[in-house]
Amino acid sequence: MRPYNIFSEALRVAYGDLCFFRRNIIQIIISSLIGPLLYLIAFGYGMRSGSTGGADVSYISYIVPGIVAITTLTAGFASTSQKILIQRLFYTSFDELILSPMHTPSIILGKSIIGMLKGLVGSVAMLILGVALSDTLFITPSLIACIILASFTFSLMGVMAGLLANSSPTLTMLSSILITPMTFLCGTLFAVSALPELFAMIIWVLPLTHASELIRSTALGWSFPWWSLLTLLAYAAGFFLINCKLIKEKLY
Amino acid sequence: MPESLPQKPPKSQIRSDKAPAGDEASLNPNAGCGVAVPAGDDTIILAKDIVKSFGTNIAVDGLSLSIKRGEVYGFLGPNGAGKTTTVNILTTADLPDSAELYIDGVDALSNRVAARSDIGIVQQQNSLEKEISVRENIVHHGLMQNMSRKQIEARMEVLCERMQLTGRLDSLVRDLSGGWKRRVAIVCSLIHNPKILFLDEPATGLDTQSRNLLYSMVKAINAEGTTIFFTTHYIYEAEDLCHRIGIINEGKLVAEGTPDELQSMVPPSALVVTFEDGREEVSYHENHEAAQRAALEMEGATSIAVRQSNLEDVFLELTGRSL
Repeated sequence: MRPYNIFSEALRVAYGDLCFFRRNIIQIIISSLIGPLLYLIAFGYGMRSGSTGGADVSYISYIVPGIVAITTLTAGFASTSQKILIQRLFYTSFDELILSPMHTPSIILGKSIIGMLKGLVGSVAMLILGVALSDTLFITPSLIACIILASFTFSLMGVMAGLLANSSPTLTMLSSILITPMTFLCGTLFAVSALPELFAMIIWVLPLTHASELIRSTALGWSFPWWSLLTLLAYAAGFFLINCKLIKEKLY
Repeated sequence: MPESLPQKPPKSQIRSDKAPAGDEASLNPNAGCGVAVPAGDDTIILAKDIVKSFGTNIAVDGLSLSIKRGEVYGFLGPNGAGKTTTVNILTTADLPDSAELYIDGVDALSNRVAARSDIGIVQQQNSLEKEISVRENIVHHGLMQNMSRKQIEARMEVLCERMQLTGRLDSLVRDLSGGWKRRVAIVCSLIHNPKILFLDEPATGLDTQSRNLLYSMVKAINAEGTTIFFTTHYIYEAEDLCHRIGIINEGKLVAEGTPDELQSMVPPSALVVTFEDGREEVSYHENHEAAQRAALEMEGATSIAVRQSNLEDVFLELTGRSL
């Protein structure tokens, strides 16, 4: 096979999505902030308290990184899964992509860029707000890197869902089964240790738990959770390989 | 037809499994096409024994095709005959259950990426990104064909001028009418100067004016040397544009030849008789006089018409179905 530059090809694939992003950036930022702001108001200021797992920080400082993790999940997953489903089933522009001489890994990477970007933009906007509300939160390069990794992982999960779903209701069902439970249970709004042991074990397997751990640890200056980094990387690699198989063997 | 078009093949190349007995090759539509070797200089698409099933439904059943460089090939068939499935396989968008496929000599099943560089596609359904501009759509297509921005700009200028799109480059695609969108789709498909252009039902949903413009564009593109493969169920579109036509029914190629050759498969005069119960019968005769004589012998007819037979009649004779 002819050698190729996967990053160059991925940017070519992503060009259309990036044009759309540039044209609609204000709406994208506003819409990606609505959900996180509601979580912040409802849990941070409405309920005011929750289990922080014994951490010596205010509840606001605890949940802002959790809400950022939720943002990476919702923005990453929703933007790629919906876009791919629409492009596949209604506009057939996904076929156009598959028919181009772009290589499969480049297509997957390219289609995940928009979700990664939306996750990053929404998360940074939320973090800026969080830093204004809490004096124990810090925006650091490692935090940004963790947000990018989390957004990328969930974008790849969105690509997979967009390829597997054969209708809009199926995608909604996938979202209800996967995304909604993760949003509330994966150590985002309260510590996983507050759950019964069996539940906690199940929750530890899910990727958002590790995204939440990574983002919270780097935002609050806690010791770096290497295990969570490895787990999230493994998820990203797994989703990537599954997507490659789905496209190469046209299993979608 | 432009002067640069290839010469029409001799009549002996007609292949139909309903052709007169005695010519074994003509009895098997796939018998004459395709040895399993890469395409030579004259053949740009060589497909052999394409089989594709969806569950228990066989969509394409052992179909073979050989498309010559520079020709306009029309692929004719009713809805559900297997046209789009065949195009999806020829363009490598879909994988066959079994087949051999060469695009300009490249084994397209084992090297899909290389084969795709030679192909441009205008899909039946508009596949443009609606929320970005015409220019952005065209640039995106060029980028996906590994072109540089400079190459894209140069080629875009030429194509848009020809398609009268220059003034609409900054319009959002969602704001364009169906005819304009089809023009944009054609520019996108031609941006990398492909050797073969696939048009899947290109006239569907277009008004007469846009359709005529489309036909003249197809002729102009072909005059520059681009091979064109298009599917249609508009019989007159195929008659007017194509050097050769293949007729597909129930996943099989039932006949292939130039429009004149196919036309000669039924006698030139068609007698259409409508009876009191609404039933319509068509019979074919060597000339109008013979048809008129036959008409006089009809009983119980409420209307009788004699006309020239056409490709639709050929299709009806071959398949028992109308287009």
